[in-house]
Amino acid sequence: MTPIVWTYIVYIALSIPLTIWVAHTLYKNGRVFLIDSFRGNERLADSVNHLLVVGFYLINIGYVALALKERIAPTDVREVLETISRKIGVVMLVLGAMHFFNILVFSKMRRRALLQAMPPPIPPQAQVSVATQ
Amino acid sequence: MTCLYVLFDADCELCLRCRNWLAQQPAFVPLVFIAFQSDEAQRRFPGIDALKPGEQLLVISDEGAVYRGAHAWIMCLWALENYREHAQRMAHPALLPLAKAVCELLSRNRFFLFPNGPQARGYTSRSSQRV
Repeated sequence: MTPIVWTYIVYIALSIPLTIWVAHTLYKNGRVFLIDSFRGNERLADSVNHLLVVGFYLINIGYVALALKERIAPTDVREVLETISRKIGVVMLVLGAMHFFNILVFSKMRRRALLQAMPPPIPPQAQVSVATQ
Repeated sequence: MTCLYVLFDADCELCLRCRNWLAQQPAFVPLVFIAFQSDEAQRRFPGIDALKPGEQLLVISDEGAVYRGAHAWIMCLWALENYREHAQRMAHPALLPLAKAVCELLSRNRFFLFPNGPQARGYTSRSSQRV
């Protein structure tokens, strides 16, 4: 096997488990956020959580697959390591950005839920009777 | 609280514009707009004139809680999905006096802001009919 094939194998072997690990972390810890956002509706929270994680997997594995090809083939071990390091570094940055984006989505959902449950900020100044029609 | 009644001045261009803007915003609590000069306002809120609806904006909840002036504006913002946070901020003791001052200034001068409003075009309000 040529060095470029080794580069590809190591790249795939590192970036796919990395994606799975991040997605799993998101799935496990995002659940609490979502349950709170959906006012304790666990089924809905689990469903949204699952959908978000599927999107996360698709985007990240898609990116990993697209970024696989290397134009200049490495010739020795040093170049193989450098190429792998660079590729994994970019994958990690993309994963990080996606992860923060997901957290942003979670916190937005939660903030909206909190706002919706907020009582009036000021007490009434008087009371009148309202005629029902 | 299932809805908020907003008693606005139908003779005031600024109030009409504000009503149109409020009506377009997505709301957590639906806003029902009633001109304070209308018969419906009298029917729905007997004795409403005691609260002087012509002086400042009045907001009344379906449970009968009354908010006036800046408080009424805060309640309108609180009802809106995109402005609930601003309502919270404006209700803070540090900002409330400023909000009150601005609302009073606007209410007092509302007919000068748009001199060609309905009042200039000769619409009659109930108060003028009574004279």
